[in-house]
Amino acid sequence: MGPREIRLALAASALLAGATATHAATWELDLDLRAVTSDATTSVLDGGYNPTRFSGHQSGLQLGRLRLALDAPIGEVWKLHLDASAWGDAYENPVGLTEAYLQFRPYPSHNLRVRVKAGAFFAPVSLENGAAGWASPYTLSYSALNSWLAEEVRTVGLETKVDWLGTRSGLPFDIGAVAGVFGWNELAGAALAGRGFILDDRQTPLFDSAGKVESPTGARIDPFRQIDGRAGYYGGVDLQYPGRLVIAALTYDNRADPTAADAASHVIAWRTTFDSVGARMEYGAGWTAIAQWLQGQTEISPGGHLREWPFNARYVLLSKRIGRRHMLSVRYDRFEVDSRNAEADGAQAGHAWTAAYVFDPGKAWTVTVEWLRVTSSSYSGSEILDSAGPVRDNQAQLSVRYALGSTPY
Amino acid sequence: MLLFVLLRAAPVAAASLAITVQLPDGRPLADAVVTVKAVGRNLPAPAPIHALMDQMNRMFVPEVIVIPVGSTVAFPNSDSVSHQIYSFSPAKRFQLPLYKGKPYSPVLFDQPGVVILGCNIHDWMIGYVDVTDAPFYGTTDAQGSWSANLPSGRYEITVWHPRMREQGQTLVRELSVDATDRATLTLQLTRPLRPAPMEDQSPSMDSY
Repeated sequence: MGPREIRLALAASALLAGATATHAATWELDLDLRAVTSDATTSVLDGGYNPTRFSGHQSGLQLGRLRLALDAPIGEVWKLHLDASAWGDAYENPVGLTEAYLQFRPYPSHNLRVRVKAGAFFAPVSLENGAAGWASPYTLSYSALNSWLAEEVRTVGLETKVDWLGTRSGLPFDIGAVAGVFGWNELAGAALAGRGFILDDRQTPLFDSAGKVESPTGARIDPFRQIDGRAGYYGGVDLQYPGRLVIAALTYDNRADPTAADAASHVIAWRTTFDSVGARMEYGAGWTAIAQWLQGQTEISPGGHLREWPFNARYVLLSKRIGRRHMLSVRYDRFEVDSRNAEADGAQAGHAWTAAYVFDPGKAWTVTVEWLRVTSSSYSGSEILDSAGPVRDNQAQLSVRYALGSTPY
Repeated sequence: MLLFVLLRAAPVAAASLAITVQLPDGRPLADAVVTVKAVGRNLPAPAPIHALMDQMNRMFVPEVIVIPVGSTVAFPNSDSVSHQIYSFSPAKRFQLPLYKGKPYSPVLFDQPGVVILGCNIHDWMIGYVDVTDAPFYGTTDAQGSWSANLPSGRYEITVWHPRMREQGQTLVRELSVDATDRATLTLQLTRPLRPAPMEDQSPSMDSY
């Protein structure tokens, strides 16, 4: 089954859900408009070297995101979720699905809660992207770590999560285990190797392009390709004190054969593995603290000629909710990509500060102001810019978001 | 029959018992469950009641109720979103499929024990129904107080709160109550409560 067949299957399942839903489907439409100012020369999304979403020439009014989501309960314990977004850049299609999955949610019994997802969705790594549409409730731009996941890593397959519910049997915590099996993610890592980490909030639509960029092999980057027929997997564990503390760890391996290439397009499979750990704590006075760390490697081996890019990213975020309407957040990111190759395949070392204020004046409106400063050695542009030292990019955004829709259940 | 009723209703030297429960720092503990059993003799079981536990702002309100064995509890949903209530506690297993308002009959609780409730949509929601066979029962008010009139005699008093961290999960005291006496008892926890679960900020917290 190729991308076209998957798209057709998703569309068919949407129609099926509409026809069979026994409870009313709920929907949500968000429009997020931005006033942007940036001193970055050209964003990596536009084929440049600057790891921010917007380039200097894009200063002014921009579409942050236009999102339409549908939740359709099917019977009592099934749900279909569809999430479509437009980002105003249209590298390939103006609108695309970021997630589309069926969820099976049986009633917990004997202290065990089971959740099964089938379709396309984010692997459960981020402790930051907890808002609707995998957005961050704290900042506009995601951490470097989660920006990369948004760009290149998506499960197209099956995930099962089992939670042992200590909280329903008198203990203070729950313990969970998650496992996923997936395909169509064999170019994960190509954009990272091609241009390094960025800090943005663009989620590559399924079977679409990760911006105007080429991989180190010169190919267009559509992260969601299957080349060698091998399934990837991930497995994770977590401990939760509901709404107060989450500690989670996950290991991911897309099991792509780095020697494999697509016969027609000659696109090469990228073997990408990573491990991540993180913790999120919430305090009664409105404080939230998050720390996440991710380390991995991506590699290709065309004709047996191995090229490897180890990478890591981590961040800490501190957020303070003031009343029900105001939230202040600050985040510090560090990130590195290296290349252990004979060719000058690029390297990046950088850090970033993000500060954001979210104002929630009412149910439908959200106003966010964000300032982002990224200091980073330039990636494959090192021969041009290395003499000048690391590049510092500043980007400020004012976002006005209007969300309307039926009430989610 | 009339004689029987009169005998039952005849005063047996009624006394009163007032209990106050405090946190380690001296602040009152509200919503603690107090159950009082007679020591060395059996008192009649309490009459079943019809109780109510609401769902508001994606929380069970109140978080804790105590009811005699054989009572029923209504679980209306006052939220604008649907809930899907379940319990797999040994004392009562049940499910209320997705609903808003009050489409279901009250649920009968006919076994003693703590029944822990959850919502299959909003995983952080948690509520407690303590089903007791104790003749005297109740929950502390905002001042941490609870009181009852009861016949004189010796009693075992148990205080429980779902987030208590005392050894043995409960505080237990024995006390003699004399006729016409007003017995008062102040119980102070030795450890602070565990923090209350908070509403997740995410509508998609199936994955964290």
